[in-house]
Amino acid sequence: MTLPRKFLCVITDEHLCPIELAGMALDGGARMVQLRRKNASGRELFEWSVRIQELCRRRDAIFIVNDRVDIALAMRADGVHVGQDDLPASLVRSLLGPDSIIGVSVSNVAEAEKARLDGADYIGVGHIFPTVSKEKTTLPLGTSPIREIGKAAGVPMIAIGGIDAGNVQDVMTAGVSGIAVISAVSGAPDPVAAARELVNIIRQ
Amino acid sequence: MVVSSGAGHLSDPGLALRQAEKLSCSDPVIFQLREKGLETGPMYSLCKRLAPIIEGSGSLLMVNERFDIALAAGADGVHLPESSCPADIVRKAASGLVVGQSVHSLESAVRAARAGIDYLLFGPVYQTPSKEAFGPPQGLDSLQEVCRSVSIPVFAVGGITPEKATACIENGAFGIAALGPFINPESLPETVNRYQSFISS
Repeated sequence: MTLPRKFLCVITDEHLCPIELAGMALDGGARMVQLRRKNASGRELFEWSVRIQELCRRRDAIFIVNDRVDIALAMRADGVHVGQDDLPASLVRSLLGPDSIIGVSVSNVAEAEKARLDGADYIGVGHIFPTVSKEKTTLPLGTSPIREIGKAAGVPMIAIGGIDAGNVQDVMTAGVSGIAVISAVSGAPDPVAAARELVNIIRQ
Repeated sequence: MVVSSGAGHLSDPGLALRQAEKLSCSDPVIFQLREKGLETGPMYSLCKRLAPIIEGSGSLLMVNERFDIALAAGADGVHLPESSCPADIVRKAASGLVVGQSVHSLESAVRAARAGIDYLLFGPVYQTPSKEAFGPPQGLDSLQEVCRSVSIPVFAVGGITPEKATACIENGAFGIAALGPFINPESLPETVNRYQSFISS
């Protein structure tokens, strides 16, 4: 499975039904859905994952589980996304095998180099702009370090953090393959339209 | 018997390490790592430090729910809560691991046994603050019914003092599981051995 070019990844929030949100994101043209729900039970995550991956298959989109390699192994997800406080990506690779997609969150050049050595297929760079979706203790990166981080990683880059229709063009210009959003889609009055608007700008 | 790590919802990785070190002076147990407050990375690091300590003591190290962490860190197995990924799927995905599961009803016990689970924790048998979320005490009769209905080992859990362990064994339990009595690592070997004396008497 290969990553698409110029794509939107929608990450689930803590409120909306993840299956409904995934459906709306895909209707709006997202090519990747990431299930991220910190307080859900293993059973819920498993059941949501099975359903969302089905939805993704129908649209030729990629389904990624955040952090929970156990869930990904159990339902054979397309891939897993890990942060710096999750399982090391090298171990995730050995657990999932060569064919799964592994994404790693990075916020600097050193983490990007490590991600490449660990066998990441893509990196999530962020957070780029101030964000309300996750509690952050560090300052936003802005768009200027993106290029250097991407060079260090040598794999496709997805930018994340505070990205919306107003600033997505600046992020794409900085050289990323795609963007990931939570609230720009899940928090929109019309998530399908919000996803579609982002996709239209990304593809320009 | 099953010794559950930690202090309920508080997480103190140092406590689990001190408990594990003390296990070298006790009868072998199933040491269940249950650290709800820890993120995946710190949980993995803790587990990786615990695995060689536990291995040397002859006990088994079980990770709560996360069989990915168990596999990555070289633990002996995974312990599933009732609300986990389906047990038969975990059984297949984690084929090299021992798999235990907590169950709170006869129906769940039978289902888990059919799924190929290696052992069960059933409870709460008695009243206990740490298990109040799992409903009222189920009592010895329910324990006996579960133990009769499955052929895998059943550990009774929930408010079990050493003195009450005997009644659990008489009602078919293979052993008992507890958390609270082991919060002080200094007295852990003594407490384990005291339980064992009631279990095997």
